[in-house]
Amino acid sequence: MERSVTQIWPIGGGKGGTGKSFFTGSLGFLLAKQGYRTLLIDVDLGAANLHTIVGVPNPPRSLSDFINKRVATLDDTVVSTPLPNLFFISGAMNNLDMANLGHEQKMKVLKGVAKLSYDYILLDLGAGTAFNTIDFFMISKTGIFVTTPEPTSIENIYRLIRSVYFRKIHHVLKTYDFKALADEAERRNPRAVVSNPDLLLHVMSELDPEKGALLQRELGSFHFKLALNQLRKQDSQDIGALICKIIEKHLALRMQHIGNISFDDRVHNAVCKRMPFLDLYPYTQTALDLRECCRCLLPEKEAHLPLQGVAD
Amino acid sequence: MKPFKEQNYYEVLEISPDAVPLEIRRAFKRSFTLYQDDSLASYSFFSEEERQDILSRIEQAYLTLINPEARTAYDQSLIAAGLLDEEKTFRDKTKGPIAIYDFQKTRMDGPVPSKRSGELKSRAEHSGMIRDLLTRDTLSGSDLQKIRTALEVPLEAIAEKTNIRIDILRAIETENMELFPPRVYLKGFLRSYIRCLALDERVVADAYLKKLGIP
Repeated sequence: MERSVTQIWPIGGGKGGTGKSFFTGSLGFLLAKQGYRTLLIDVDLGAANLHTIVGVPNPPRSLSDFINKRVATLDDTVVSTPLPNLFFISGAMNNLDMANLGHEQKMKVLKGVAKLSYDYILLDLGAGTAFNTIDFFMISKTGIFVTTPEPTSIENIYRLIRSVYFRKIHHVLKTYDFKALADEAERRNPRAVVSNPDLLLHVMSELDPEKGALLQRELGSFHFKLALNQLRKQDSQDIGALICKIIEKHLALRMQHIGNISFDDRVHNAVCKRMPFLDLYPYTQTALDLRECCRCLLPEKEAHLPLQGVAD
Repeated sequence: MKPFKEQNYYEVLEISPDAVPLEIRRAFKRSFTLYQDDSLASYSFFSEEERQDILSRIEQAYLTLINPEARTAYDQSLIAAGLLDEEKTFRDKTKGPIAIYDFQKTRMDGPVPSKRSGELKSRAEHSGMIRDLLTRDTLSGSDLQKIRTALEVPLEAIAEKTNIRIDILRAIETENMELFPPRVYLKGFLRSYIRCLALDERVVADAYLKKLGIP
């Protein structure tokens, strides 16, 4: 299959245990089954376990080989998986300090990812809002958030998206003094600075309209997606849509709800058996939901196209 | 998208400017629940003060838009500021309730439908003959007929209105007791007849029955 542009989807969510790795693995599985050359990269450095989910328990190479210059290019760290079309870069590190990448090393990885040529590259991010996580998340405009319908998880979604927001302001203000701006905003409105990045943007537009407009454009170009995972029967179905609404309304960021994924105890079984859930239980509601999410993520015109890939 | 504080009331409630009151009420309930303290979707997003600000703004939006006069004034201010197209504002296109009793239930052949009771009363007062008859102790069938003719109420109109067979009404006027219905019905029919003439039904009915010797 010929494709010129590589789609990069970073998958994050702030909180641990929401199913980011499971979602990444399943999405990779679906894309590969549809005939797309798909690469999964585990950037949950320090707590990597995507290799277990994709069925490569002992990856022969990993990201650390690239960072420590044991291999020349990031392409050399790619490992094939039992599934054709699905490739994988492990984040499992033998170096204990790898959880905290330095700026240089991070930039090296980011540049390396940009050079890779696949149909889809999915980045499985770690929990938390460390700069490294956020920078990996911002590698593309189409980050996918995974959350569960629980306050703790939703809280972290908001924290992550605000971190992204602030980070973007930081990027734009490289030459500028971010601190001065923050101080100015705080002086004008003492209570709202941390929780209301919108205000920061407002102040910035006043201080420097040109930079403000640039930032508005940059932020406006984001097109985030939100998947609501582990939805139980008793949970409200429209939480996802409401979260998107709040983000669009109060942060002026685009965010699209791509679907709810039902909770299923058998996900645990599949992980324990180290087999793809979609292979083991293809006719469950959860599998259906995952396929629906995948369909939502693909551009319209391609959603029905690669049928020939399904056959093999 | 505009910052929340600069959004107009329609944008706050996420409704179109021509929303009907029901939509406004629904939108209010939806937004109000979303920003509540116990709402899962907005959990941790706002500080308490921000939440209160937003809630009061939503409430203000609702109270303005749900009140027709306040809404019109608000629309006008938006139109004056060039933010709203007058064409797009809400206009109450709903019909008022239909008064079902305005309908004529039966078709009238005669040119004179039942006369208004006020008109009949004044005519009765101005007619010396009727006044004279009404002072009497007893009234015969022909007396009733005279009154009716003087009031220009056709017997057919009474039959239409009261649903009493016309031959029975005629029998009352001609005192043809063979055609009379049973006693209880007779009294009721008589009263209906008199009511159509806008007379005092009790007094007139008593006088008529007295004349016929019916207790």
